Amino acid sequence: MARACEVIGLSPPRRAAVQRVSLPLLVFVSATMIVLGKADQILFESLRASVTDTAAPALDVLSRPVAALGHLVDRARDFVAVYQDNARLAEENERLLSWQQAALGLASENARLRELLKLTPEPPATFITARVIANSGGAYVRSLMVYAGHENGVVRGQAAMTGEGLVGRVSEVGSRAARVLLVTDLNSRVPVIVEGPQQRALLAGDNSERPNLRYLDAGTGIKIGDRVVTSGQGGVFPPGLPVGIVASVDGEAPRVEPYVEMSRVEYLRIVDYGLANGLPNPVPVASRSGRRADASTGDQPGRR
Amino acid sequence: MALEPVGATAPQRLDNPAARLLPIATTLLATVISIQPANIPGYAALTPAFTLMAVYHWTIYRPDLLPPLSLFLVGISQDLLAGAPPGVTALMLLLARAAVIRCRRRFVNQPFPFVWAGFTMLTGGAMLFLWTLHCLLDGVLVDFRGTVFRAVLTISIFPIASYLLGRIQRTAMGAG
Repeated sequence: MARACEVIGLSPPRRAAVQRVSLPLLVFVSATMIVLGKADQILFESLRASVTDTAAPALDVLSRPVAALGHLVDRARDFVAVYQDNARLAEENERLLSWQQAALGLASENARLRELLKLTPEPPATFITARVIANSGGAYVRSLMVYAGHENGVVRGQAAMTGEGLVGRVSEVGSRAARVLLVTDLNSRVPVIVEGPQQRALLAGDNSERPNLRYLDAGTGIKIGDRVVTSGQGGVFPPGLPVGIVASVDGEAPRVEPYVEMSRVEYLRIVDYGLANGLPNPVPVASRSGRRADASTGDQPGRR
Repeated sequence: MALEPVGATAPQRLDNPAARLLPIATTLLATVISIQPANIPGYAALTPAFTLMAVYHWTIYRPDLLPPLSLFLVGISQDLLAGAPPGVTALMLLLARAAVIRCRRRFVNQPFPFVWAGFTMLTGGAMLFLWTLHCLLDGVLVDFRGTVFRAVLTISIFPIASYLLGRIQRTAMGAG
């Protein structure tokens, strides 16, 4: 501020006055921005997208040394555990080969049955692989920034996955970068189905590592270890995407351990199943009839 | 790790524009470090408040080179890049400056433990403020443990950050 005053040629008393006023004024502006941002979620969206787009190339470059260091640590760890890993992988490979035979048999049977039923094949999904260049760094938001945007075909609402399972969904898109809201975020709601009891539920994040299952029927017989996959309700995600396994059934709501360890994600697959166009833009809170995303509306965009 | 007091109560005049920009540049760098993805389980939630460390250091030693407008812009950038509600970090940094600047003279010529104790109090207040604000914004009682761990981590790492910032300051601006 002092430099700005020098540049515009203010006299010392006026400069002192400007400096005295600037702090309370900026505190007021910040507080106003918080209130406005809460009342109208799309107000700062274009500003956020342009700041993200501007910073994305720099963040991409700066995140590479950190990633390289992580690889080095991983490599050292792998080197130490190479013998045990080899024994484990040989045993796993043997088991997977028998599963491969079973899968091939099922695939051909499935193809024959589809032909018998004259089933219209689902459109093939398209993938965009994107590098993670930033996270949310704090206790209150769970999101990742990826270095792919409109230019690469990323659209709001697309599923973000790794080979292991669902990570989240694209919540904001700039021209070069996009933000992925993780399934663990406080505002994430994903309609899921618990395999086994075939029980529908809503997977709700609470910023902890393990999101919880809501709106379950009482006495549904959910067990630890049951698989949780997307149900496809709400039309944002297709059914059957792997999410995680039930990790605890005590307390208020069962908790799910996601298949993906969110902090170790380096590359994401943004998957277009041709459903993303159905995701509406965020609606200002004031004009909503209900306060939060609820079970009937399925996966709604949160505040971000 | 006693940090020599640099830049006493009457700030030294700097003609080198690069040195003048150093506080803003290091604070921006702290913001970028705060959002770096690190391959450590659970790190994202407990990332230390690096930006707060830089703001505390420069507000004590060279408040003239880190004016409120720059804090506002850095805070807004961090909020926008991190996906947080815009204004939250900006407000926290501005209030931190207001608090530190009132008693900066007590820290300037003191040994490091005094400076660290001041930062401990500031971090406690800042984390409590952020937690309260997010509870109000999200309309739920956010788990307080993450906030406590983050505060402890931030306070523990501060000596390293303070040492590095002090070295940078001495190299670029000279002592006194």
